Amino acid sequence: MKKKDLRFYLRIYFKILAQDLKSKMSYRADFIISTIGMIFTNIAGFVSFWIIFRNFPSINGWSYYEMLFLYGFSLIALTPVQCLFDNNWNLRIAVYSGDFIKYCFRPVNLFFYYQSEVFDIKGLGQLAFGIGTLAYSWHHLGLGFDILMLLKLIVFLISASVVMVALQNAAAATCFWIQNSFYVLDLVTRFKDYAKYPITIFSPVFRFIFTFIMPIAFIAYYPSLVILRPDNIEILSLFSPVIAVVFFWISYKIWMHGALRYNGTGS
Amino acid sequence: MSAIIEIKDLTKEFKVLERREGLKGSLQDLFSRNYKTVRAVDNVSMTIEQGEIVGYLGPNGAGKSTTIKMMTGVLEPTSGTILTNGIVPYKNRSKNAQEIGVVFGQRTQLWWALPLVESFKILKDIYQINDKDYNDMLDLYRSLVDIDPLLHKTVRQMSLGQRTLSDILAAFLHNPKIVFLDEPTIGLDVAMKANIRKLIHALNKEKNTTVILTTHDMGDVDALCQRTVIIDKGKMLYDNDIEQLKKFFGSYRILKVRPTGELETQAESIKNELEGFSVRIMDDWISILVDEEKAGVMDVLGRLQRSYKIKDMQLEEISTEEVIKKIYEGGVN
Amino acid sequence: MNLKKYATLTKAGIIESLQFRLGTFVMIVGNLLYLIVVYYLWKAIYASAGTDVVNGMTFTDTLIYLVLATALFNFMEMYTVWYIGRDIQSGKIVLDLLKPMDYRSYIFWSYSGEFVTNFVYTFLPTFIIVAVVTKGAISFGSNLVFFVISVVIGISINYSIDFIVATICLYTESIWGINIMKQVIVLLLSGATVPLAFFPEPFKTITFYLPFQSIYNAPLSILLNAHQDLLSVARVIGTQLIWCIVLTVISKLFWKASLRQITVNGG
Repeated sequence: MKKKDLRFYLRIYFKILAQDLKSKMSYRADFIISTIGMIFTNIAGFVSFWIIFRNFPSINGWSYYEMLFLYGFSLIALTPVQCLFDNNWNLRIAVYSGDFIKYCFRPVNLFFYYQSEVFDIKGLGQLAFGIGTLAYSWHHLGLGFDILMLLKLIVFLISASVVMVALQNAAAATCFWIQNSFYVLDLVTRFKDYAKYPITIFSPVFRFIFTFIMPIAFIAYYPSLVILRPDNIEILSLFSPVIAVVFFWISYKIWMHGALRYNGTGS
Repeated sequence: MSAIIEIKDLTKEFKVLERREGLKGSLQDLFSRNYKTVRAVDNVSMTIEQGEIVGYLGPNGAGKSTTIKMMTGVLEPTSGTILTNGIVPYKNRSKNAQEIGVVFGQRTQLWWALPLVESFKILKDIYQINDKDYNDMLDLYRSLVDIDPLLHKTVRQMSLGQRTLSDILAAFLHNPKIVFLDEPTIGLDVAMKANIRKLIHALNKEKNTTVILTTHDMGDVDALCQRTVIIDKGKMLYDNDIEQLKKFFGSYRILKVRPTGELETQAESIKNELEGFSVRIMDDWISILVDEEKAGVMDVLGRLQRSYKIKDMQLEEISTEEVIKKIYEGGVN
Repeated sequence: MNLKKYATLTKAGIIESLQFRLGTFVMIVGNLLYLIVVYYLWKAIYASAGTDVVNGMTFTDTLIYLVLATALFNFMEMYTVWYIGRDIQSGKIVLDLLKPMDYRSYIFWSYSGEFVTNFVYTFLPTFIIVAVVTKGAISFGSNLVFFVISVVIGISINYSIDFIVATICLYTESIWGINIMKQVIVLLLSGATVPLAFFPEPFKTITFYLPFQSIYNAPLSILLNAHQDLLSVARVIGTQLIWCIVLTVISKLFWKASLRQITVNGG
């Protein structure tokens, strides 16, 4: 048996992704309608944001364009979880029906194999929307642009995405232990919508909760400070890549632990 | 021959919640709970050689799939040891998976919306099968079954029989050392059953693959297995050559008749007529266990037809459940 | 005494007992967290506004409006589109159509039980918390009676819209896409995400000519005493009634016309 290196995993990943796209294309009407639905969601999100903030010049010392920056940043950061980890939504059903076991018989990492099965192309619309918003606010804020900033942006966007992925993994994995896990996943999804607001508007208790317990502050606020207010960075901002990795590792462990535990109870 | 699977004193326990009944019971359940430990697999030992086809039998809930889950590495034993291929499966799930193939009942592991050949190509990458081995395997498949029409059909469009066939082919694709087949012929018609049995037999001969087959259908066992292991309530009841089992049960058949008149009274009367036979009522039928060494089925039927008007009749092979019952009643070993 | 044994039992007991009530628990806690997030967000917004009244609404008005809109949404949402969509895909709808009852009423009454539980779990606690926190901003008078009437009509309108959307599923099979579009449109244009008073002209006028504002905005504006005299309250409820009748008729006719589709598709 050859060693399973990154190239091996990448190749399989794209093969399995391609199959998902092919099968989605075979339900074309559904695909088109879902894509339109997704675009609707993004537009509606933007419209409600715009309606609120056109009434107020600033919030808690954050200008309209800064808020817009956070908004765009969060949209981009939420794309990977939408595109690449959407199968977490089906986990509950796979576990209850017993179909989950089929993922356990392959000589590849279980988590990887499960997540690779679905690629949600609808998320790409959100990505485009996010990039547009970010670029627009970037321009209006006159932040300037150089390679270093771009690198920073990429690194911190990735960390933000990883935090959201970790949150969703952990929420989805609750289905290995409890019934009605849908509510947990739904709750996390509802809260990610609030990631786009500066955490300073909350009281210290909730600042703590949204930083360490349900770390939605790492989805937009902390990482975008690095670009937005480079003179006034919080220490947590700089550490956000490390924290993202830690959160992800914990969520991965929970997920895998649950998966192997579940097999004992399933028939 | 060398041992490919070695199981020693294998035990798996589960904790099961015992629920109390009624509203009062569930309120009590809120505060205190009783757990019962269930031994799904109880002290099972066996050694399986490379190339064997072993029939692993037992009624529902006997512990068959728990044993298989432990052999495939998705479940950790409570105690005892398993070695497949010289490795401990649950410690090296991924490495173990490379050397095994699994077909689990009617749950397809193929990609629902893809033509079969596309599924094969993904499996080729996952199991890192080189081009030559892959093509050789496809050629072998072609020589055994008519797969070309299947290859370009999506799994979604296949009949249950075609899907099972495809799943079995997929399980053998990477030339694993062991293949686990769980109820491969369930729900299939007679012709398809025969096809699938022929295929499994041929692949086992050709590739010397060890096959562990769990089934309810004695026909599968009869057609494929040299050896059977019977398990009930987690305990091993029987592990021996199929010939020995056949010597004991091969002569038994079940004759089912439906005479005119009231079923219960007729059954009672038949019971008196055929002394020494076990006569029971099963779903709308009167079922008679016939030992062909004592009396032929046709003789029994002839005798019945003299005194009763038979509307309908069926002939069945003895089922796993009957075999297990017989083993309990008078030990075979 | 073996303490560890007891600790294990306690832990198992907690996990086990949580299994069944966790869904409810998460729902209530999630709802509370959500209230807190909305509270802080709008407090910050109003603090930055410089004035106490924006678009004719005070901070308390906005808070009550948004929080109760969400509570109303949780309480009214019956996931009708999902239920019917799934029935259509599984073919179970054929069985339901055989029942000696109009399908539209059958579905409504089979899920009406959820109104009761949702009312107790989410709406009532939210209403009480809001009434206490805002210290009497909700007046307890005849407005409560009109509010209840208005909510009942709102439920009926919401159900008719759901039923029309669910009927569309007979043609498209894209449940997710259709449902998300409906949800986005209803939530935005009914004033459930941003109070309609904040909408700029001409959007504000447009929304008042659409049926959606009759679902959430109408009962909430009555509750908040935005209407000075009985006549204007009557006008709001009258508008609701008209929409209620129009949409009920449309949804019934559309369903009747679409039934042929089922017989074509088979079961």
